[in-house]
Amino acid sequence: MFRFIASFFTKLIQMMLQVLSSKKHIIHNLLSIYVKTSGGQTVCLDIDPKCDVSHIKKLVAPQINLQPDELKIIFAGKELADDYVIEECDLGQQSILHVVKIKSPKLNEVFRCSTPKANLSPLTESLDYSTFSSEDENTEKPLERKAHFYVYCPNCKGLKQGKLRVRCHFCKSGAFTVHSDPQDWSHVLQPKQITGTCENDPEYCQELLQNCEPTFAEFYFKCSEHVSLGECDQAVPLDLIRPNLRHIPCLACLDVPETMFTFPCQKDHIACLDCFRSYCLSKLLERQFWQHPEHGYTLACPNGCLNSFIREIHHFRLLDDDNYDRYQRFATEEFVLRSGGLLCPQPGCGMGILAEPDCTRITCQQCKYVFCRNCLQGFHIGPCDPVEPSLDAQGNCDVDLNCPVVEDPSRTTIKVITKPCPSCKTPTERDGGCMHMICTRSGCQFHWCWVCQTEWTRECMADHWFA
Amino acid sequence: MSAMSPSERRLQKELMSLIKDPPPGVTVDAEQAEQNLLQWTIFMEGASGTLYEGERFQLQFKFSNKYPFDSPEVTFVGSNIPVHPHIYSNGHICLSILTDDWSPALSVQSVCLSIVSMLSSCKEKQRPHDNAFYVKTCSKNPKKTKWWYHDDSV
Repeated sequence: MFRFIASFFTKLIQMMLQVLSSKKHIIHNLLSIYVKTSGGQTVCLDIDPKCDVSHIKKLVAPQINLQPDELKIIFAGKELADDYVIEECDLGQQSILHVVKIKSPKLNEVFRCSTPKANLSPLTESLDYSTFSSEDENTEKPLERKAHFYVYCPNCKGLKQGKLRVRCHFCKSGAFTVHSDPQDWSHVLQPKQITGTCENDPEYCQELLQNCEPTFAEFYFKCSEHVSLGECDQAVPLDLIRPNLRHIPCLACLDVPETMFTFPCQKDHIACLDCFRSYCLSKLLERQFWQHPEHGYTLACPNGCLNSFIREIHHFRLLDDDNYDRYQRFATEEFVLRSGGLLCPQPGCGMGILAEPDCTRITCQQCKYVFCRNCLQGFHIGPCDPVEPSLDAQGNCDVDLNCPVVEDPSRTTIKVITKPCPSCKTPTERDGGCMHMICTRSGCQFHWCWVCQTEWTRECMADHWFA
Repeated sequence: MSAMSPSERRLQKELMSLIKDPPPGVTVDAEQAEQNLLQWTIFMEGASGTLYEGERFQLQFKFSNKYPFDSPEVTFVGSNIPVHPHIYSNGHICLSILTDDWSPALSVQSVCLSIVSMLSSCKEKQRPHDNAFYVKTCSKNPKKTKWWYHDDSV
């Protein structure tokens, strides 16, 4: 308790001194941060963003019974130099700094003198796009801060600016310093690319690995727009959204956007975020996304470049909520169909069903509808009916009271004006042109004949290409 | 002016560049296009030294709000439809970049250039062999036709 009061007074006095020493500068945005020790102890500090790292050491040292020069402060994969100003570290409210005890202070002193200061800044600053791209257009530092990374934040539910953070690949401790800076996205997105030193408990990590491989850094991202929710608070990096430092025009609207979506092709095709959204939306509504075996339900560069599929499907979070739901539904349906499953034909249901290949009587677990696997009509005994059962000439039919006879009018319309693709049964409307049909569903694209309702053949061409 | 959609912004830019720097023999009805950016009329003259020298044609471009992710609907209109093996008498054009091979990297200008070169390379003025049949059965919108591109030489 006494220590707490003492530290409170020291802080108070220091704050007052700062106010007095620079009259123009009034502190109105104190930064509240946590400092975590290797022993698991957490110290909460309210600091002025203009103070430097040595100041933090002075505040923390007495609380953990060490001298300030016995400490090193680690943040985002780097040890912070004593004269580093907190404001320049890209620290948000309630960020966590890690403090560890220097093993042999003297040796470290020598090492630190020989280390250039530039190397002792956290990665969030040093890893900007001038290091990622080989071009040196932006050698003059722009005055306004440019966002370096974009993420999808599950907490804020949207596209936000992100911050890169580093932790130990094995023990997940943030007290980790990297041996080299990541040079491109592959270093950050793929595991085990950059080695480093786990400062939390090096013996533990080395023992765990039995010295058969070095300790690797693990990179992750945080949303920079909400107060940190602790060490588990993570965001998905949207690596294809980048600042447009080279002023490339959008391939669709030809404007030069500040923030761009980069298609993963070799030709530098980019779109502004608005045009990327409308590209996704138009492809989604036409059901032209592609079920990629590795990356999932995705799109490629609109200019048709080879091998340009978008790998991180969270980029489609740029769609609004309704359309993202639709994207997820289509993706699931496509996946079910690809895996040899089928979809419940009942309007409004569409439940994905995986059934034994030789089972023709399918019961939907969702809506309990029982249907024939082959014709997707209500279940029947015997061969499938080629035509819909209809009323007889007098308009009479044997009415089974248990059987619903009223049909959704739009469903009836669909049945009347469409024929199912013989391969995937997608209802298809023909409004002119020849009898050669190509299924429009991206995963199917079956060539079939409107007349025969089977595969399109040379005979169809000879007999009834046109009606 | 109210905020333009991305497709309108693109069309506005294309219109400006087409007015400023049109391909030879091509003019756009700027006034009409400015009133409705989604439908343009473009006049095209047959290039000198070709079978169409001295003829004047009229093209209609219709754009959807998905342009340029969606191709424009391009047809010849008016009284003079060029007689050409890939152009039907109802004005529909059999040209792959207008459907299957469309990409947002193409533009009104590049479509005009393709049509001009398609006309210029023609060696004999004739309608497509299935003209009568197609014109009777086709949809109004040529983009709904599943084209069978069979000949690149003309």
